[in-house]
Amino acid sequence: MLNIKNVSVQYDNSQEKALSDINLSFNNGEFVCILGKSGAGKSTLIRCINGLQKPTHGEVYWQDQPLSKMNEEQLRQVRRKMGMIFQHFNLIPRLTVIQNVMTGTFGYRSTFKNLIGWFTDDEIKRAKQIIDDVGLMTQIDRKVEQLSGGQKQRVGIARALLQQPAVFLGDEPVSSLDPGISNHIFQLIQEMHHRLQLLTIINVHDVELAKRYATRLIALKDGKVVFDDIPEKFDDDKFHLTYGSTVNKFQNYLKIN
Amino acid sequence: MWFKYRSIFTVILLLVLVFFSMRLTEFDLSKFKEFRNMIDFLSQWFPMDFSKLPAMIHDSLETLALAFLGSFLGLIFALPISFMAAVNTSPSKYLYHFTRFSLSFVRSIPEIVFGLILLTALSLGPFPAVLAIMFHNVGVLGKLISELIEASDPGPQEAMKAVGAKKGFGYLFSILPQIWPNVLSHYFYRFEVAIRTSLILGFIGAGGIGQRLFNDFKTFQYSSVSLDVLMIMILVIMVDLIGSYVRNKVI
Repeated sequence: MLNIKNVSVQYDNSQEKALSDINLSFNNGEFVCILGKSGAGKSTLIRCINGLQKPTHGEVYWQDQPLSKMNEEQLRQVRRKMGMIFQHFNLIPRLTVIQNVMTGTFGYRSTFKNLIGWFTDDEIKRAKQIIDDVGLMTQIDRKVEQLSGGQKQRVGIARALLQQPAVFLGDEPVSSLDPGISNHIFQLIQEMHHRLQLLTIINVHDVELAKRYATRLIALKDGKVVFDDIPEKFDDDKFHLTYGSTVNKFQNYLKIN
Repeated sequence: MWFKYRSIFTVILLLVLVFFSMRLTEFDLSKFKEFRNMIDFLSQWFPMDFSKLPAMIHDSLETLALAFLGSFLGLIFALPISFMAAVNTSPSKYLYHFTRFSLSFVRSIPEIVFGLILLTALSLGPFPAVLAIMFHNVGVLGKLISELIEASDPGPQEAMKAVGAKKGFGYLFSILPQIWPNVLSHYFYRFEVAIRTSLILGFIGAGGIGQRLFNDFKTFQYSSVSLDVLMIMILVIMVDLIGSYVRNKVI
């Protein structure tokens, strides 16, 4: 349902390619985690999928339609089928939980209706159901900056789910959260993944977390795919291949001492 | 450790600038020999003459209305223009440069010049003053708000893109809640400035407490001048208090 063909990305201010010649295809029901050091191209890859980043070369196909051939309107229609959550949550400050969640419907409604804030009973009912699902019913009318990090990410998830997505994308969604909270967030994502039959693609740098939840692992190094298989096959060698010699040296240091 | 050799040149340059500025402005503390004149003059201000208080209150309200309307209309026009004048939300590069240039052009014209030009068409009274204050505030607020837009967090804008919101609407919805408290504090500061400006505009016949102050001064009614000045101070402090109250409520 989602194909990435020969995609390369080169940023203006950099000599090296952020992604070089990536070929991947994803199917419904997969829970994919993308691993790699910072700067390996994880974020760029996720952002290529929903067209926030345009590839320098190559093409991303969504249901066999190339994203680069789409106009703004068509791209919008693709994006609204892809819920996305972010490392820094990217909630709208000073709005309440429910107000933030309601923005998930913006892709489906006219600008006028959005501006007035005219939501149908059905939309509000659905939003409340989702807020209940992510466990924030008691916080529904609080402003988002009063919430904890984990709660903010739950709001982010609720916003993405209200889009009725087919794909769930996460750009380092737990990197600024405590380990325990990260695990809860992943549990929630997994639950929604199964319930709604999504394709889920998430960047993580915590290998243990990725192995616990993913059905497929992809590792990037210097913009290239160095591993793409089931998590069980991601062994120590692959780990060193992905994370390079610095970790290796550090682990040796630990062994010696 | 703290000072570089180059700092010495900066200090010398500043001293030279201060010296020439003093020459040009005839800055001379020895002139305070005539300090008694000022005391004599100020002593004529008291006791205050309260007989014209009702008329003064009326004029103060006129000044308040004039400053409020001018700065508020300025804000209304500045808001959409500032989105065109911010590099991250402008629809096109040309429009960005054009609005930037227009805003600094409007800003470079003092209110009093606007007032004098508009007087010829609109004759004496507060109306040309409202327009003069409005034009100038479009320039000032447009620039300040566009800078707030440029400094806003891009994260929420990206999120609005990702949910599939239309571009312009996404900008509006993700940026406005972020910058709103700062927009309000800029606005109330400009409101306060507009009160002082409207006093100056009163000197060219725009009405309000400014014109009364000017007339009382020219006719040597110093006991009324002191009350005029007191009214003006109360006005400015009032607006400042309202401004901080509203801003606290919003935050």
